[in-house]
Amino acid sequence: MKHKVVAMILAGGKGTRLESLTKKTSKPAVSFAAKYRIIDFPLSNCANSGIGVVGVLTQYESTALDAYIGNGEKWGLNGVHCLMTSLAPRQTEQGANWYKGTADAIAQNIDFIDESNPEFVVILSGDHIYKCSYNEMIELHEKTGADATISVIEVDPAEASRFGIMAVNKTDRIVEFQEKPKVPKSNLASMGVYVFSWPVLRKYLIADMKDPKSEHDFGKNIIPNMLNDGKKLQAYRFKGYWRDVGTLASLHEANMDIALDKMELNLYERDANNRIYTEDTYSVPQYVGKRGSITRSIATQGASILGDCDSCVISNGVVIEAGAKCTRAVIMENAIVKKGAVVHNVIIAPGVVIPEDAKINVGGDEVVLIGK
Amino acid sequence: MEKIIGFCNLHDDPHLGQLTTKRPCGVVSFLGRYGLMDFTLSNFSNSHIDRIYVLVKNSVLSVRSHIGNGAIWTNNTRRGFVNLLLNEDGLFNPKFNTDLANLKANFSIDYVDFDYAVIAPSFMLASIDYRPIIAAHEKSGADVTIVYKHINNADEEFHNCDRLKIGADNKVTKIDTNLGRTSEADISLESFIISKKVLRKIVNDVSKVSELFSLREMIKYYVGEEALDVRAYEFEGYVIPMLSLEGYFKHSLDLLNVQNRNKLFSEDWPIYTTTHNTPPALYGRNADVRNSFIANGSIIKGKVENCIISRDVVIEKGAVVKNAILFTRSEIGKDVKVINALIDKGARVSGVNALEGKDGEVLYIKQGAKI
Repeated sequence: MKHKVVAMILAGGKGTRLESLTKKTSKPAVSFAAKYRIIDFPLSNCANSGIGVVGVLTQYESTALDAYIGNGEKWGLNGVHCLMTSLAPRQTEQGANWYKGTADAIAQNIDFIDESNPEFVVILSGDHIYKCSYNEMIELHEKTGADATISVIEVDPAEASRFGIMAVNKTDRIVEFQEKPKVPKSNLASMGVYVFSWPVLRKYLIADMKDPKSEHDFGKNIIPNMLNDGKKLQAYRFKGYWRDVGTLASLHEANMDIALDKMELNLYERDANNRIYTEDTYSVPQYVGKRGSITRSIATQGASILGDCDSCVISNGVVIEAGAKCTRAVIMENAIVKKGAVVHNVIIAPGVVIPEDAKINVGGDEVVLIGK
Repeated sequence: MEKIIGFCNLHDDPHLGQLTTKRPCGVVSFLGRYGLMDFTLSNFSNSHIDRIYVLVKNSVLSVRSHIGNGAIWTNNTRRGFVNLLLNEDGLFNPKFNTDLANLKANFSIDYVDFDYAVIAPSFMLASIDYRPIIAAHEKSGADVTIVYKHINNADEEFHNCDRLKIGADNKVTKIDTNLGRTSEADISLESFIISKKVLRKIVNDVSKVSELFSLREMIKYYVGEEALDVRAYEFEGYVIPMLSLEGYFKHSLDLLNVQNRNKLFSEDWPIYTTTHNTPPALYGRNADVRNSFIANGSIIKGKVENCIISRDVVIEKGAVVKNAILFTRSEIGKDVKVINALIDKGARVSGVNALEGKDGEVLYIKQGAKI
């Protein structure tokens, strides 16, 4: 069946910089903002953009992520015109292959995309936090007649050398791409969100597969190759909150942005059609105890807050015992902070028990992960 | 293995004052997150009863929107279902709008493949595993088994509920009404186990006895006439009866006590409810929350004590809310005091200094009211 747009979400990365948080979980499945997982954001964006065909490319610890993705029902992506599946590496007539890079992951699933015979393919990253309707970007792509459109966000010029930077002309046509440049030519960073005209991308993917020198990466190979060939690459300027949560510090900071009600992500907008969807838990409502307190925080159902929490993110099933004190703490599902314990500037991994009277990172400026 | 179907019976539910003028008891919000009928549906679901019918008396749309496609209570979504049965004729003839009339109109006993039916109301909140009860029913050879609870505060609770007199072999010898004159009583939880054959008999008999009779009244009649073998099965767990607005208010707030809460909820007996995709609750810099349930989607910037706060509620800075139940999407404006009150869905209180239910009375603010 023909679909105009197919979305492919790259979710195979290990996320080494998240240390033990990704020991048994892939990065996109790491929990975020008390009740979500990171991948809920691109998936909900697809759902809210009316994109029904979504392939999720998984590789590292794929079983748990595949199970979470299921048939897409959690995001409403199981309707009659929808087709959602996770695409882990598979054995084929040509043999068995791991995904050798982001481009190779898509290339190995050309058959999946061809089934929908789409005009456009949206390539997304499974580990970014943002709310975006991709329709506007697709419209721009159509209007400008581009071969590829890349979503960019303005970053602080001083930080620009950490990103893939796009230099553009007056009409926002991309003239040069610099991967983590020492001397950035602009402050427009690529968000790793691409719209491609499928016939064009398809050709480049097949050529890239045959290139023994290629790293099979969108940023390093596909985009530079297209630019070299004079293809039309357009920049789409995204306005709003966007974070790559690839490190412990950035994961913690993005969680704090929500707890401290910076509201840029707009999780609390009342428009029921623009929400972020996730797995439901069958837990009792959250309870704040007689001597508990909670300020500048977010907490979800199933949490028991009997101690003091300030600037915290409190997930499902978490217990903060009486007399415990948590500040700037991201506490993931089913973790327990025992009485008298004090934690500061921490990420507490799922299921971890902080023992009685433990003092962890008190006064510390750097975020500490407490893993199992 | 026996084939079991479940009926969630909304016909015989009590009125909870103004809470149930526009909605049936079964969908009244509970603990900020549930509808009362979630307990019955989840009991079926956890007891592996996968074919569930809801006997709807009226306000079918609110029941429909609470249930959705029923998949959250269903194990196998192809074989299992939650179906709504509404006796449309009954809407024009309220006196005759009984559960049995509904069954007669909408349910083909011979067509549906089942051995036993479990029929339970929505207002008796408990975590009941029906599997041992069905086994006991089968073993006893009874026509009907009534699930009951032995209580020692019948003078204070369960008023006007059916009271059982139980003889040898758990035979029910008499059913009357608890008027609160004694403290000890065996109270019917109005959950019945009935075989296909007996259910067919009851539905057929009702036109000969009285078309006004409900299933509960028919069973009472059979016991009086000694026409059926009716047995009692004691449920030893915790039961919360929702019989009035005041009772609803008191029992809900009683669950803030963790001991009570742990009696009603147990970890291996989840209570399922519809999801609304609300974000986590957000607490502001000046939030001061004590002894309260807070549902997701709420934004709390003021003081909240001994409260149940439902989904998407907003409590502004400087507001003080005490001993109150706030329903979905209600809002308490800046510096407003709300004490001993039940604020129904979507109501907004902002233009006043204080709203207070005096002398133990619950102040009720109706759905959507702007104050």
